[in-house]
Amino acid sequence: MRDVYIIGTGIHPWMGFSEQVFADFAAVAVEGALKDAAIEWQKIQSIMAGIFIYGGNAGHLSGQYLESIFGETGIPVVNVYNACATGSAAIRMAFNSVVAGETDTALAFGADVSPKGFLTAKSDNAVQDRDVIRWKMGGMPNPIYWALECTKRMAKYDTTEEDLALVKVLMSEYGSKNPEARFKKAYSLEEVLNSVYVCEPLRLFEICPVSTGAAALIMTADEELISKADNPVKINATTMGSAIYGDPTIRISALSCPSVAEAPMLSESYSASRQAYEKSGIGPEDIDVLELPDNSSWHYLVYLETCGFCGEGEADKMLRDGETRIDGRLAVNPSGGFSSHGEALSAQAIWQVIECANQLRGRCGERQVDGAKVAMAQTYGLMGNSGTTILTV
Amino acid sequence: MENMANTVARIPNLVDWSTGEIRLMSAKCNSCGTYFFPREHYQHRPGCSREGVEDVLLPSKGKLASYTIQHYPCPPPFKTEKKITPYGIGLVEFEEEKIQVAGIITDTDLEALELGMEMETTTLAMYSNEEKQQVVTWAFKAAK
Repeated sequence: MRDVYIIGTGIHPWMGFSEQVFADFAAVAVEGALKDAAIEWQKIQSIMAGIFIYGGNAGHLSGQYLESIFGETGIPVVNVYNACATGSAAIRMAFNSVVAGETDTALAFGADVSPKGFLTAKSDNAVQDRDVIRWKMGGMPNPIYWALECTKRMAKYDTTEEDLALVKVLMSEYGSKNPEARFKKAYSLEEVLNSVYVCEPLRLFEICPVSTGAAALIMTADEELISKADNPVKINATTMGSAIYGDPTIRISALSCPSVAEAPMLSESYSASRQAYEKSGIGPEDIDVLELPDNSSWHYLVYLETCGFCGEGEADKMLRDGETRIDGRLAVNPSGGFSSHGEALSAQAIWQVIECANQLRGRCGERQVDGAKVAMAQTYGLMGNSGTTILTV
Repeated sequence: MENMANTVARIPNLVDWSTGEIRLMSAKCNSCGTYFFPREHYQHRPGCSREGVEDVLLPSKGKLASYTIQHYPCPPPFKTEKKITPYGIGLVEFEEEKIQVAGIITDTDLEALELGMEMETTTLAMYSNEEKQQVVTWAFKAAK
């Protein structure tokens, strides 16, 4: 296997609903990545594009739309959708293309414009699309799923409402130091605990909204491009996992789950992370910076356990003891996380990898993790989708 | 059970009241033993022959395995004539079938919800359709 490096990254800052089209946001991110890598568009030999699911034909063929903006060159352009792990799938395909020698330099990008209001069903066929049932019959928006798991957790372990609020306090502190975050206000514990319940035990400030944003990264095995790049970051592994039979988690869109666990919770992420540890030879103990998918405060806690950073039920203690702070043994979500950004479906996994790369390149200013050498980005998408990327400098 | 004449489920093949009890319409694989709900969403153990899947009704009663109280109205396509927020959502466990099913909690004091309490499958009237039928979804309530 040859070594593959990230040489350029670009982001369109996260924001709320916009009348602008997704391709314009994508172009900003791609332009930024080309400038960062200091290469011309014609050097890109393949494009792996995240599908923008609410964008109709244009969104489903986002790679072709993007290519036409910069100039069509006949290269392979593949569009992929894996729910909120869409960006992970794009990165993984770009990596596989380069590592296998099919191409030397590949672009992965995702851009998403949040729909006004809530994400809801995308079809009206209840037989084919179970999502229709949960909306029409279940009355279950996404945070309900997280709350059902959080209630189970609080009964099983000693997780408290203060723990859930403390996650937001930390995330908002970091978000306030991140110029590209959408939410920049730092909250006190009291303010979080005074925010209204959305679905008990989760409060308004403890769940993330949907956002608009775009992210792009360029990776290469071309030695000349690597040698010219500003602090290139090595991709040690980038993997995807799906769920494992017997996983007791109630997955978003599902109406049932097994009552007897035969697999780990969030098994898609267990699977993606274990594949990455095995492929890279890097384990949780080696990682300095972790970007995890904090869709809610519950996710922040459970992901530390799912990915093996502590044992089951031990994440609350890690949090309370300050081990997950920027100056702790494992800096968790120095970006401010989804809590400070919101979800931009096809872009968010790429943005997480970019944050990790920026930390390793020492570009993070006030939120910089001192001496970071190894970073991991962990995503999560509904119906059993997950990706893990491990990077080093 | 209430009088269910002139009542229709908003989406068919999910909840049944033909036996005199309100029960969820599940399916079971007789090869790997997996129960799944809804019936159309097949689930099997890896390596299963997938032979002998049959439609089954879950028991009317189960235990509350988790719950939450939803404080804002669920957006469309969810629809009810009357305001139901705040409403409970429960995960009810059917022990023998090794499955937990999610559903709205109705006719129950939400303050009195406790993990492990016995719950009974019921229906929740959502709205009346053009044929003046009562359109319902499945739901759970504290068992009497």
